[in-house]
Amino acid sequence: MLLLAFGIISVALVLWLLHRMNNTDAEIQKLALNLSFIRYTMWLLGQVVLSSLTVTRLVWGSRKELKPTIGKLPVNKVPKKSRVLYANSITLTPGTLCIDIDNENVTIHALNEESLHSLKRGDMADKVPGENKGVS
Amino acid sequence: MIEIISSVFLIVGAFFSLTGAVGIFKFPDFFTRVHAASVTDSISTILIIFGLILRTDFDLVAVKLLFILIFMLLTSPTASHALAKSARHGGLLTLAETRSDKKVGDD
Amino acid sequence: MLVLSATCIAILSVMALALARALKADTVYDRILGVNMFGTKTALFIALMGFLSGRPDFLDIAIVYALINFLGMIAVLRFFEYTAGDENQEQEK
Repeated sequence: MLLLAFGIISVALVLWLLHRMNNTDAEIQKLALNLSFIRYTMWLLGQVVLSSLTVTRLVWGSRKELKPTIGKLPVNKVPKKSRVLYANSITLTPGTLCIDIDNENVTIHALNEESLHSLKRGDMADKVPGENKGVS
Repeated sequence: MIEIISSVFLIVGAFFSLTGAVGIFKFPDFFTRVHAASVTDSISTILIIFGLILRTDFDLVAVKLLFILIFMLLTSPTASHALAKSARHGGLLTLAETRSDKKVGDD
Repeated sequence: MLVLSATCIAILSVMALALARALKADTVYDRILGVNMFGTKTALFIALMGFLSGRPDFLDIAIVYALINFLGMIAVLRFFEYTAGDENQEQEK
Protein backbone atom coordinates (compact mmCIF):
# COMPACT_ATOMS: atom_id res chain seq x y z
CA MET A 1 0.00 0.00 0.00
CA LEU A 2 2.84 2.34 0.90
CA LEU A 3 4.64 1.47 -2.34
CA LEU A 4 1.49 2.18 -4.33
CA ALA A 5 1.19 5.55 -2.63
CA PHE A 6 4.80 6.35 -3.51
CA GLY A 7 4.07 5.42 -7.12
CA ILE A 8 1.06 7.71 -7.28
CA ILE A 9 3.02 10.55 -5.66
CA SER A 10 5.91 10.23 -8.13
CA VAL A 11 3.57 10.15 -11.12
CA ALA A 12 1.83 13.27 -9.84
CA LEU A 13 5.20 14.96 -9.26
CA VAL A 14 6.37 14.22 -12.80
CA LEU A 15 3.10 15.49 -14.26
CA TRP A 16 3.30 18.66 -12.22
CA LEU A 17 6.94 19.24 -13.24
CA LEU A 18 6.11 18.74 -16.91
CA HIS A 19 3.20 21.13 -16.62
CA ARG A 20 5.46 23.69 -14.96
CA MET A 21 8.06 23.32 -17.69
CA ASN A 22 5.26 24.16 -20.11
CA ASN A 23 6.47 21.33 -22.20
CA THR A 24 3.29 19.46 -22.96
CA ASP A 25 2.76 19.10 -26.67
CA ALA A 26 -0.39 20.87 -27.74
CA GLU A 27 -0.35 19.23 -31.14
CA ILE A 28 -1.24 15.60 -30.66
CA GLN A 29 0.01 13.41 -33.46
CA LYS A 30 -0.87 9.82 -32.98
CA LEU A 31 -1.17 7.01 -35.41
CA ALA A 32 -4.28 4.96 -35.09
CA LEU A 33 -3.61 1.41 -33.96
CA ASN A 34 -5.99 -0.08 -36.48
CA LEU A 35 -6.00 -2.88 -38.99
CA SER A 36 -3.94 -1.08 -41.62
CA PHE A 37 -1.18 -0.38 -39.12
CA ILE A 38 -1.04 -4.05 -38.14
CA ARG A 39 -0.99 -5.08 -41.79
CA TYR A 40 1.85 -2.62 -42.39
CA THR A 41 3.78 -4.09 -39.45
CA MET A 42 3.45 -7.59 -40.85
CA TRP A 43 4.59 -6.40 -44.30
CA LEU A 44 7.54 -4.60 -42.70
CA LEU A 45 8.60 -7.76 -40.83
CA GLY A 46 8.61 -9.64 -44.13
CA GLN A 47 10.71 -6.89 -45.74
CA VAL A 48 13.16 -7.03 -42.81
CA VAL A 49 13.62 -10.77 -43.28
CA LEU A 50 14.12 -10.46 -47.06
CA SER A 51 16.60 -7.59 -46.92
CA SER A 52 18.60 -9.10 -44.09
CA LEU A 53 19.02 -12.23 -46.20
CA THR A 54 20.44 -9.95 -48.91
CA VAL A 55 22.85 -8.31 -46.46
CA THR A 56 23.89 -11.72 -45.12
CA ARG A 57 24.77 -12.81 -48.63
CA LEU A 58 26.81 -9.62 -49.03
CA VAL A 59 28.65 -10.21 -45.75
CA TRP A 60 29.67 -13.77 -46.49
CA GLY A 61 30.21 -13.15 -50.19
CA SER A 62 33.07 -11.37 -51.89
CA ARG A 63 33.75 -7.71 -51.43
CA LYS A 64 33.29 -6.86 -55.09
CA GLU A 65 29.51 -7.19 -54.94
CA LEU A 66 29.42 -4.31 -52.51
CA LYS A 67 28.31 -1.12 -54.26
CA PRO A 68 27.27 1.42 -51.65
CA THR A 69 25.26 4.27 -53.11
CA ILE A 70 23.75 7.41 -51.73
CA GLY A 71 20.61 9.09 -53.02
CA LYS A 72 17.83 11.52 -52.32
CA LEU A 73 14.17 10.63 -52.35
CA PRO A 74 11.23 13.04 -52.42
CA VAL A 75 9.03 12.67 -49.38
CA ASN A 76 6.09 14.80 -50.53
CA LYS A 77 3.76 11.87 -51.03
CA VAL A 78 4.08 10.69 -47.45
CA PRO A 79 1.79 12.56 -45.04
CA LYS A 80 3.50 14.65 -42.43
CA LYS A 81 2.58 12.68 -39.37
CA SER A 82 3.86 9.36 -40.66
CA ARG A 83 7.18 10.64 -41.96
CA VAL A 84 8.97 9.60 -38.81
CA LEU A 85 7.50 6.13 -39.22
CA TYR A 86 8.64 6.10 -42.84
CA ALA A 87 12.23 7.09 -42.02
CA ASN A 88 12.34 4.65 -39.13
CA SER A 89 11.13 1.84 -41.38
CA ILE A 90 13.81 2.70 -43.95
CA THR A 91 16.49 2.47 -41.30
CA LEU A 92 15.02 -0.65 -39.71
CA THR A 93 15.31 -2.71 -42.88
CA PRO A 94 18.97 -3.70 -43.19
CA GLY A 95 20.64 -2.47 -46.35
CA THR A 96 19.07 0.99 -46.39
CA LEU A 97 19.88 3.73 -43.94
CA CYS A 98 18.21 7.10 -43.64
CA ILE A 99 20.91 9.70 -43.07
CA ASP A 100 19.03 12.98 -43.19
CA ILE A 101 15.43 14.13 -43.45
CA ASP A 102 13.98 17.56 -44.12
CA ASN A 103 10.74 18.91 -45.52
CA GLU A 104 11.21 17.73 -49.09
CA ASN A 105 13.81 15.00 -49.22
CA VAL A 106 15.26 12.08 -47.33
CA THR A 107 18.91 11.22 -47.93
CA ILE A 108 19.41 7.49 -48.08
CA HIS A 109 22.54 5.39 -48.00
CA ALA A 110 22.06 1.93 -49.48
CA LEU A 111 24.32 -1.10 -49.66
CA ASN A 112 23.44 -1.96 -53.24
CA GLU A 113 21.52 -0.19 -55.94
CA GLU A 114 18.58 -2.56 -56.08
CA SER A 115 17.33 -1.67 -52.62
CA LEU A 116 17.58 2.03 -53.45
CA HIS A 117 15.62 1.43 -56.65
CA SER A 118 12.87 -0.45 -54.86
CA LEU A 119 12.56 2.49 -52.46
CA LYS A 120 12.46 4.89 -55.40
CA ARG A 121 9.60 2.93 -56.91
CA GLY A 122 7.74 3.89 -53.76
CA ASP A 123 6.66 0.49 -52.41
CA MET A 124 7.16 1.57 -48.83
CA ALA A 125 5.86 5.12 -49.32
CA ASP A 126 2.57 3.74 -50.65
CA LYS A 127 2.13 1.33 -47.79
CA VAL A 128 2.86 3.64 -44.86
CA PRO A 129 -0.42 4.10 -42.99
CA GLY A 130 -1.91 7.43 -41.99
CA GLU A 131 -3.21 8.94 -45.22
CA ASN A 132 -6.73 7.59 -44.88
CA LYS A 133 -7.77 10.29 -42.40
CA GLY A 134 -7.37 13.05 -44.94
CA VAL A 135 -6.00 15.53 -42.37
CA SER A 136 -2.28 15.14 -43.13
CA MET B 1 7.08 -29.19 -30.95
CA ILE B 2 7.05 -25.60 -29.72
CA GLU B 3 10.47 -26.14 -28.22
CA ILE B 4 11.89 -27.21 -31.59
CA ILE B 5 10.50 -24.08 -33.30
CA SER B 6 11.90 -21.94 -30.51
CA SER B 7 15.32 -23.61 -30.85
CA VAL B 8 15.32 -22.95 -34.59
CA PHE B 9 14.47 -19.28 -33.96
CA LEU B 10 17.23 -18.92 -31.36
CA ILE B 11 19.90 -20.56 -33.51
CA VAL B 12 19.00 -18.61 -36.66
CA GLY B 13 19.01 -15.42 -34.57
CA ALA B 14 22.44 -16.25 -33.18
CA PHE B 15 23.66 -16.91 -36.72
CA PHE B 16 22.42 -13.50 -37.96
CA SER B 17 24.01 -11.89 -34.94
CA LEU B 18 27.38 -13.47 -35.77
CA THR B 19 26.91 -12.37 -39.39
CA GLY B 20 26.61 -8.77 -38.27
CA ALA B 21 29.65 -9.10 -36.04
CA VAL B 22 31.70 -10.44 -38.95
CA GLY B 23 30.28 -7.68 -41.12
CA ILE B 24 31.51 -4.86 -38.92
CA PHE B 25 35.04 -6.21 -39.39
CA LYS B 26 34.78 -7.01 -43.08
CA PHE B 27 33.03 -4.00 -44.55
CA PRO B 28 35.30 -1.27 -45.88
CA ASP B 29 33.95 2.00 -44.53
CA PHE B 30 31.86 3.43 -41.72
CA PHE B 31 28.48 3.73 -43.43
CA THR B 32 28.52 0.13 -44.65
CA ARG B 33 29.44 -0.99 -41.14
CA VAL B 34 26.29 0.68 -39.84
CA HIS B 35 24.32 -1.61 -42.16
CA ALA B 36 26.06 -4.66 -40.73
CA ALA B 37 25.27 -3.54 -37.18
CA SER B 38 21.66 -2.91 -38.15
CA VAL B 39 21.33 -6.58 -39.15
CA THR B 40 22.09 -7.62 -35.59
CA ASP B 41 19.82 -4.92 -34.24
CA SER B 42 16.74 -5.78 -36.26
CA ILE B 43 16.43 -9.39 -37.31
CA SER B 44 18.45 -11.11 -34.64
CA THR B 45 16.57 -9.23 -31.91
CA ILE B 46 13.24 -10.21 -33.48
CA LEU B 47 14.22 -13.86 -33.83
CA ILE B 48 15.79 -14.29 -30.40
CA ILE B 49 12.96 -12.54 -28.54
CA PHE B 50 10.34 -14.54 -30.43
CA GLY B 51 12.27 -17.71 -29.62
CA LEU B 52 12.21 -16.77 -25.95
CA ILE B 53 8.49 -15.88 -26.05
CA LEU B 54 7.73 -19.39 -27.32
CA ARG B 55 9.44 -20.78 -24.22
CA THR B 56 7.25 -18.89 -21.75
CA ASP B 57 3.76 -19.79 -20.54
CA PHE B 58 2.44 -16.68 -22.37
CA ASP B 59 1.98 -14.74 -19.16
CA LEU B 60 3.51 -11.52 -17.82
CA VAL B 61 6.98 -12.70 -18.86
CA ALA B 62 5.91 -12.83 -22.51
CA VAL B 63 4.48 -9.31 -22.21
CA LYS B 64 7.77 -8.04 -20.80
CA LEU B 65 9.68 -9.67 -23.65
CA LEU B 66 7.28 -8.06 -26.12
CA PHE B 67 7.98 -4.68 -24.48
CA ILE B 68 11.74 -5.22 -24.89
CA LEU B 69 11.20 -6.13 -28.55
CA ILE B 70 9.00 -3.11 -29.35
CA PHE B 71 11.33 -0.77 -27.50
CA MET B 72 14.41 -2.07 -29.30
CA LEU B 73 12.69 -1.92 -32.68
CA LEU B 74 11.77 1.72 -32.01
CA THR B 75 15.10 2.87 -30.63
CA SER B 76 17.74 1.04 -32.67
CA PRO B 77 16.85 2.76 -35.99
CA THR B 78 16.80 6.07 -34.14
CA ALA B 79 20.24 5.41 -32.69
CA SER B 80 21.74 4.40 -36.04
CA HIS B 81 20.10 7.38 -37.75
CA ALA B 82 21.58 9.72 -35.13
CA LEU B 83 24.96 8.04 -35.54
CA ALA B 84 24.93 8.35 -39.34
CA LYS B 85 23.70 11.94 -39.19
CA SER B 86 26.36 13.03 -36.74
CA ALA B 87 29.05 11.22 -38.75
CA ARG B 88 27.82 13.04 -41.85
CA HIS B 89 27.88 16.39 -40.08
CA GLY B 90 31.28 15.56 -38.66
CA GLY B 91 32.54 15.39 -42.23
CA LEU B 92 32.89 11.68 -42.89
CA LEU B 93 32.59 10.79 -46.58
CA THR B 94 30.97 7.67 -47.97
CA LEU B 95 32.92 5.18 -50.02
CA ALA B 96 31.42 6.29 -53.34
CA GLU B 97 32.30 9.91 -52.65
CA THR B 98 35.90 9.08 -51.69
CA ARG B 99 36.26 7.08 -54.90
CA SER B 100 34.91 9.89 -57.07
CA ASP B 101 37.24 12.33 -55.31
CA LYS B 102 40.17 10.10 -56.18
CA LYS B 103 39.03 9.88 -59.81
CA VAL B 104 38.76 13.64 -60.04
CA GLY B 105 42.21 13.94 -58.48
CA ASP B 106 43.67 11.42 -60.92
CA ASP B 107 42.20 13.17 -63.92
CA MET C 1 18.83 -25.96 -22.43
CA LEU C 2 21.69 -26.78 -24.76
CA VAL C 3 20.30 -24.39 -27.37
CA LEU C 4 20.00 -21.61 -24.79
CA SER C 5 23.63 -22.10 -23.75
CA ALA C 6 24.76 -22.13 -27.37
CA THR C 7 22.87 -18.90 -28.08
CA CYS C 8 24.38 -17.35 -24.95
CA ILE C 9 27.89 -18.24 -26.13
CA ALA C 10 27.17 -16.84 -29.60
CA ILE C 11 25.88 -13.56 -28.14
CA LEU C 12 28.91 -13.39 -25.85
CA SER C 13 31.28 -13.78 -28.77
CA VAL C 14 29.37 -11.11 -30.69
CA MET C 15 29.78 -8.82 -27.68
CA ALA C 16 33.52 -9.58 -27.61
CA LEU C 17 33.80 -8.79 -31.32
CA ALA C 18 31.90 -5.52 -30.87
CA LEU C 19 34.21 -4.53 -28.03
CA ALA C 20 37.24 -5.41 -30.16
CA ARG C 21 35.82 -3.21 -32.92
CA ALA C 22 35.34 -0.38 -30.41
CA LEU C 23 38.90 -0.71 -29.12
CA LYS C 24 40.54 -1.01 -32.52
CA ALA C 25 38.79 1.62 -34.61
CA ASP C 26 39.77 4.32 -37.08
CA THR C 27 37.26 7.00 -36.20
CA VAL C 28 35.32 7.93 -33.11
CA TYR C 29 32.05 6.93 -34.84
CA ASP C 30 33.30 3.38 -35.25
CA ARG C 31 33.86 3.26 -31.52
CA ILE C 32 30.34 4.51 -30.85
CA LEU C 33 28.96 1.92 -33.27
CA GLY C 34 30.79 -0.86 -31.43
CA VAL C 35 29.62 0.36 -28.04
CA ASN C 36 26.02 0.66 -29.27
CA MET C 37 26.09 -2.90 -30.58
CA PHE C 38 27.61 -4.05 -27.30
CA GLY C 39 24.79 -2.40 -25.36
CA THR C 40 21.93 -3.86 -27.40
CA LYS C 41 23.50 -7.30 -27.26
CA THR C 42 23.89 -6.95 -23.50
CA ALA C 43 20.16 -6.38 -23.09
CA LEU C 44 19.49 -9.51 -25.15
CA PHE C 45 22.10 -11.44 -23.18
CA ILE C 46 20.54 -10.51 -19.84
CA ALA C 47 17.16 -11.74 -21.11
CA LEU C 48 18.72 -15.01 -22.28
CA MET C 49 20.57 -15.37 -18.99
CA GLY C 50 17.29 -15.07 -17.09
CA PHE C 51 15.88 -17.98 -19.03
CA LEU C 52 19.04 -20.02 -18.64
CA SER C 53 19.04 -19.69 -14.86
CA GLY C 54 15.27 -20.11 -14.64
CA ARG C 55 14.62 -16.67 -13.14
CA PRO C 56 12.61 -14.51 -15.57
CA ASP C 57 12.87 -11.56 -13.14
CA PHE C 58 16.04 -10.67 -15.02
CA LEU C 59 13.81 -9.24 -17.76
CA ASP C 60 13.21 -6.09 -15.71
CA ILE C 61 16.95 -5.50 -15.68
CA ALA C 62 17.03 -6.05 -19.44
CA ILE C 63 14.32 -3.42 -19.97
CA VAL C 64 16.20 -0.93 -17.80
CA TYR C 65 19.45 -1.69 -19.60
CA ALA C 66 17.86 -1.10 -23.01
CA LEU C 67 16.46 2.25 -21.82
CA ILE C 68 19.76 3.43 -20.35
CA ASN C 69 21.70 2.29 -23.41
CA PHE C 70 19.49 4.32 -25.74
CA LEU C 71 19.64 7.44 -23.57
CA GLY C 72 23.41 7.19 -23.20
CA MET C 73 23.86 6.73 -26.94
CA ILE C 74 21.78 9.81 -27.76
CA ALA C 75 23.65 11.86 -25.16
CA VAL C 76 27.08 10.83 -26.46
CA LEU C 77 26.02 11.53 -30.05
CA ARG C 78 24.65 14.96 -29.12
CA PHE C 79 28.04 15.71 -27.62
CA PHE C 80 30.06 14.51 -30.61
CA GLU C 81 27.83 16.04 -33.26
CA TYR C 82 28.97 19.49 -32.19
CA THR C 83 32.51 18.97 -30.90
CA ALA C 84 33.72 16.86 -33.85
CA GLY C 85 32.66 19.56 -36.32
CA ASP C 86 34.51 22.20 -34.28
CA GLU C 87 37.69 20.11 -34.26
CA ASN C 88 37.57 19.74 -38.04
CA GLN C 89 37.14 23.47 -38.49
CA GLU C 90 40.05 24.14 -36.17
CA GLN C 91 42.22 21.75 -38.17
CA GLU C 92 41.25 23.49 -41.38
CA LYS C 93 42.25 26.79 -39.89
